[in-house]
This record gives sequence, C-alpha cells and structure tokens, in this order.
Amino acid sequence: MSTNQIKVDALVVGGGISGMQTALDLGDQGYKVAVVERKSSIGGKMIDLSKVFPTLDCCSCITTPKMSATAHHDNITLLTYSEIESINRDGNGFKVQATKKPRYVREDDCTGCRSCELVCPLEVSEDEHEFGRTSHRVVYVPFSTAVPQKALVDLDHCLFCGKCIQACPSDAIDFTQQPEPVEIETRSIVLATGFETTPINAKKEYGAGKLRNVISGMMMERLLAPTGPYGRVLRPSDGKMPASIAYVQCAGSRDQTLGVPYCSRVCCMYAIKQAMLLSGALPLAEITIYYMDIRTFGKGYEQFYQNAKAMGVEFLKGKVARITEDENQNPIVRVELIDEFGKTRVTERQHDLVVLSVGLLPGGNPQPKFGVPVGEDGFVQVPDYNVFPAVTSQPGIFVTGAAAGPMDIVDSIMMAGAAASSAASYLEAGNGSRKEAQRQPERSVEYA
Amino acid sequence: MAERVNPYFLKELKKYGDVRIEECFNCGNCSAICPLSTEEDNFPRRMNRFAQLGLRDRLLASKELWLCYYCGECTKTCPRQADPGEYMASARRYAIASYDPTGLAKLLYTSPVLSVIFLLVLAVAIGLFFFQASAPMDLQTLRLFEFIPSALIHNAGIIAGVVIVLAALVGMVSMWRRTFQALGYPKGTRLDWWGAIWKAFGVEVLGQLRYRKDCESSAVNKPWYAQKWFIHASMLWGFLGLFVATALNYLLELLSVKATGTWVPLWYPIRLLGTVSGLFLLYGTSLALLRRFRKDDTSYEKSTFSDWTFLALMWLAGVTGFLLEIAVYLPPFAWSYWMLLAHLIVVGELLLLAPFSKFAHAVYRSIALYLWTLKPLPESEQASAPAAAD
Repeated sequence: MSTNQIKVDALVVGGGISGMQTALDLGDQGYKVAVVERKSSIGGKMIDLSKVFPTLDCCSCITTPKMSATAHHDNITLLTYSEIESINRDGNGFKVQATKKPRYVREDDCTGCRSCELVCPLEVSEDEHEFGRTSHRVVYVPFSTAVPQKALVDLDHCLFCGKCIQACPSDAIDFTQQPEPVEIETRSIVLATGFETTPINAKKEYGAGKLRNVISGMMMERLLAPTGPYGRVLRPSDGKMPASIAYVQCAGSRDQTLGVPYCSRVCCMYAIKQAMLLSGALPLAEITIYYMDIRTFGKGYEQFYQNAKAMGVEFLKGKVARITEDENQNPIVRVELIDEFGKTRVTERQHDLVVLSVGLLPGGNPQPKFGVPVGEDGFVQVPDYNVFPAVTSQPGIFVTGAAAGPMDIVDSIMMAGAAASSAASYLEAGNGSRKEAQRQPERSVEYA
Repeated sequence: MAERVNPYFLKELKKYGDVRIEECFNCGNCSAICPLSTEEDNFPRRMNRFAQLGLRDRLLASKELWLCYYCGECTKTCPRQADPGEYMASARRYAIASYDPTGLAKLLYTSPVLSVIFLLVLAVAIGLFFFQASAPMDLQTLRLFEFIPSALIHNAGIIAGVVIVLAALVGMVSMWRRTFQALGYPKGTRLDWWGAIWKAFGVEVLGQLRYRKDCESSAVNKPWYAQKWFIHASMLWGFLGLFVATALNYLLELLSVKATGTWVPLWYPIRLLGTVSGLFLLYGTSLALLRRFRKDDTSYEKSTFSDWTFLALMWLAGVTGFLLEIAVYLPPFAWSYWMLLAHLIVVGELLLLAPFSKFAHAVYRSIALYLWTLKPLPESEQASAPAAAD
C-alpha cells in the first residue's frame, strides 16, 4: 500500500464549524488546506443542533452549505475518519503523520446511494449523535446530511453476511481495508478541536446519569431537531409528552467540585432557546429555568432572554442541589429559592422532564501531539488573547473556536476568521516563502 | 430597626476556624442539599450572607446556627468550595465566645498556646487544692475517700457547680434573648411552651432524631454503631448517665443510705448505671478521637485545638474513672490514689470549662432546638385566650 502524501499551506485539525470556516477562509484566499476530522462526517457539534440562538435559524440549513462548501472547495482536501498520529517540525513547516481509519467502504467508489443500508439485516444503537435513542444499520451513512455522503461499516457488530456486497451497485464494500497512513506536509496548523460537554453522569447529586428523565442539553437538541430520533419531544422513560420541563443551569459549569470553575458561556442561551422552541413544540408545557445568574452578553441576547420571559418561561433563581425521582420516574428538584424581597425557602418541585444545562469541556488535550500548552481549564493557551486571539505559543500553530475556550457559534465563526487571518499573515511573512505557483489565478468564492 | 454592620466581622470569624465563606456566591446549593433545611428554617446560605455582610447581630440571633450537625454535604457539593460546613462550625465557636462575657471562651478558641498554659495552670491548681487536704495513703487497704475526703469533693463540686451554672446562665440568657426576639412572634402570641419540651429535649436532644434520621442518610457505608450520630449520642448519654449516677450517689449519702466509697457489687443500680454510662462515654470519645485522627469524614477534616481538648478531657475522664474502678481490685494501692487525683483534675477541668469550651454547645443547641420546636398555639386557642400581658 502506498503512502498518501499531501502538501498544503495549512492543516486544520477538526471539521466543526470553526474548523470549516477557517478552511474556507484560507481556501478562498488561495491557500491549500487540509482538514482532518476524527469522525466520519464533518459538521462537528453544530450539525447536531436544532436551531441557533439568537436568530432561531435552522441549524441544518446553515451548517450543511458550509459542509458542502468545505468538501467541494478546490483548495481544500478533506480527510474524514482520520486521526493525527504525530507532528514534527521540518524547517519552517511541519511533517504530520495521520491515519485514515478503514471505513470498509471505498470512499472513491461509494455514491451514498444507501442500497447497502437497506439490505443490512442488523441494527445497532446510534450513540454518536442520538445518545442511543435510535439505531442505525451496521453499514450506514452517518446521517442524512453527512459530508462526505459515504457509507461505513461498524465492523464490531458485522455478521459478514455479504448482503451489502451484493447490493452495492458500485462494488465499494471492501472488508480488507486497513488503516491507511497519510503524510501531510504543511506550513501551518490550525487547531479546531472543539469541545465536549459535561458527561450526564458527572454529578452524583443529579442522579449520576441513572435518572431516565434527566437528560442533557445536547439530548434535548436532538429531541427538538427536525431530524431527531422521534420527530417530537418525548421523555425517555415512558414516551410521555412532558407537561412540565425544568432546566438546571450551571450543571457542570462554575462548579469547583467538578473541577470546572469557569462559565461555559453558551448554556444560558441554549436553555432559553430550547425553552422557546419547547413553547412551540409543546404549547401547553410549563417550562422552568433554575439559574444562578443569567448571562446573556452577546448581540441580541438580552432581548432574546426578555422575549422568553414574555413568552411565559418561568425563571427561578437558585442552584438545584439535588435531583431525585418519584415512583413514576418524575424528577424532583430540591432548590433554595430566593424571592425579590430576599425571602428564602428550600423547596422540592416535581417535573416531567429535567434538562441539565451541561457545560463545555475541552475536546481533547493537544499538548502531547502539538506541543501547545493548555491552561488550567484544559483549553489551549493563548498567550496574548486580547491582541492575538488565535495565536498560540508555538510559531505556525493557531487555534480557533471552542478549542481555545468555551464559545458560542457566533464567536467560533468570528474566531475562525481571526485564525485564518493570522495563519495567512504567518504564511505571507516569509515563513516558508510561499510559492507563487500555489496561488490559484482565479479564486473560487462560490460555495458548492 | 436599624441594622448595624461590622466590617471586621469576617476577619474576626476567621480566627475561629478555616473560614473561607467570602468565596460564596450565594447560589443556595448548601441550603438545598442540607437534609435538615426545611421550607422556613433553611441554612447555611443565609448564615453565609450574614458573615459576608458583617451582620454580626443577626448571626448571633440565629437558631439555625445550632440546628446544624455538620454532616458535610454542603461542603462536599459547594460549587465554590467555600466550605459552608466548617464555616457553620466556626460560627458556632464564635457564638460561644460572644455569648460568654468573660473572654475566656475567646482565649480558649483562638489561642492554642494560651489554652495549653491555662489548662496546665488550672490542672495544677485543682491538683494542689485537693492534695493539700489529703491524708496519708493507706497502702494496706484502699481508702480513697479518706485520702481525699469525700465531703471536700462534694462541697468543692457543689461550689464549682454553682459557679458553672451562673456563668452558663449569662450566656444562655444572652442567646435566648437574641434568638427569641429574632423569631419575630407578635406580642401577645400564645406559644405552646409545654408542648415543645418533649419534642425538643426528649426527641431531639436525647433521642437525636434528626441527627440519626436525616444527617446520616448518605453514610450508607458505616454500620449504625460507627455512625456519627451514635458516637455523639454515646458521649451524650454516657455523660448524662455518669452525671445522674454521681448525683444519686451523693443523694444516698445525704439520705444516709450509703456513704460514698462504700463497696457495693457491680449490679448495684447506681454503680451499674455509672459503669454502663462510662462504657458509653469511653466508646463515643474513643471513636470520635479515632475518626477525627483518621479524618474519615468531611466534618473531621479540620479539627481545631478546641475539638481535640474537649474530646481528650472527656476521654481521660472516662479512662481515669475506669482505672479507678479497677484499682479497687489491684493492690498495691499507691497508683490508685494518684489515679483518684488525676480523675478529679480531669473532671474538674472539664466541668469548670464547660461554659467556655465546646461543651457549651450542649446548652446552646438545646435552646435552639427548643426554639425551633416552639410554635404558636392553634388559632382557636389564640382567640379564646386573653392576650399575654407584656
């Protein structure tokens, strides 16, 4: 097997919204870019969301075009289902070793027709996007708007019955595929490794993930999304339409017992957004948001919050200390409520469904592979955040999006611009003397 | 009513323990996680606020301070790691020192060095007081109460008792006035004074109901006899039992039934009560000392000097007491006489320092529990009864 070699100006690690935008911004300027994505599709966390705040735009509708544009851009090479193994500085550039994991489907041949999926006899739990609330076949296209729209085989569950091989019209199934090494020669690197959310079982007082009707904000996104598992909001334990839904804010942020002293910045807004969407999806449901402080700092955010209040969403100040459940698996929250006169009472309130507004954690530690130090919070350290927000302490390595710290979509896209700009300046400044030949005579700025 | 703010309050509180309550951002997690918090009587968050704002008088008027048994749930789950549990304990120490007008409690709580000196001087003083009145030791037959006359012990005990009660009364009245006023019952409200007695003193103080049922809910990994409530109850019951046995013993002497020091068999009711109570005391104090040493519970992690001295004195009282009981059977008797002296010194220190040490929590907690239980009489009796004249 021959080693694939790619030579680019910039390597973007991570194909979420910030990584895609960085790649597009650099590609549009004529730089050659490679995007390495760990999962089988780009799109990151954003493609899983229902709608975005504060505009309530449909997430699929604005993410999918970016995904397509990234995939079809002349200057962008997409490596999905791939991992970075190591990087080494080589003169002014880097030599990066990556591995393309086997899909057991030849990407070049697969047309995404899903014939294989239709004949596959086995279904397995869909854990990557739907938290096990639905299933997919053993050979499957990750989701309907996945990019690339190519199938892959979950070999651990495969029976090797061969039905997909017979059904595939382009003979793309290949069970002999091996991990494929890819060598990427690049002059700069942009880290866009994103974030993870607080695990649902992180907090023992919130049932440690054992209460079935206590779900995370991300799970609620899927319930609200048009492409979600049920196409409507049902609670997990019995499929009942919840009549009373509570949000527990700071369920993973500003909590030193979880080692997370910082504010995750997005939870207030996504909870308010979901409350609004729920008001539409379940017009009769009562929605309560238990909060310590409401932080609606962005453009149009405060108005968004006031709108939610006006729509009848109940905001109660108090940190939920404990969640238990009654015999019908209705969650009960215990909280100290403080009214506007300073009068306090400790009370227990029962709801049908509780959503934990889980916080944002670093998506991984890039330090060992990239030599980029991380801060106490685990996010990539940016030495001069106010002046050079995307420049790390390693020359030629930049950072964007939630890899640098908790950040919403608006900021992630803005930072992508900053990262692309910083990387371009670095490339232009003679670091690795950019060859004129690499520049496209005509720029292609039309996406897809 | 005007509220007086003391800007140095938090600084002062910090002398009484590892207070870091300025970290608190008042989310209310502590109050809501607290198994003892009820709809109206909730803590510790409100107490935290008093420290942050310098509302010393409000804190000293809070019965809630004394309702806490320090299970440590608030400390374990505090998002700011502000340690509300240790703050409450420190605030109780501060309150004991504040209710005490002599300043002795403050000294004992805030200065371990001076405390040690004071305890040693007091020990020598008590020792000398009894030793100067002692008769030569009879090494052939054990005559403890001829070595140190029982009349002297009794009289000294009674005089010390009066002093202790008077000193304690000052603090109790001070605390009662503040906390009762803070309950805010309108003048003329008829309260169920009698009804609260059994529930407060019987069920809560002696029965330790809330400590047992609520505070141990999370401690599933310990058998009942190693749980904090039982350790605490052992000490409480043991001490009370010994106190009653001593008093009854004296009563029998006054009634000329049995002179102090007369040999009686083990099953003799008063001796039996004393022995069993002593065992309880020894068990409770030993386990409490051991668990504090091991720091195997959130509340045991930050023991102060005052915690150690109180427990150590109680433990020594138990140990010397039992050695004394064994001494009767084990000649030569020289060490037995010294043991009596040691026992008198330890018990003397324990009792004389009661109003100024951790011991004082016994009365303040009892008052707080009584006020917590105290509720107005039902509406019907309010209407029919003439308004109280005050």
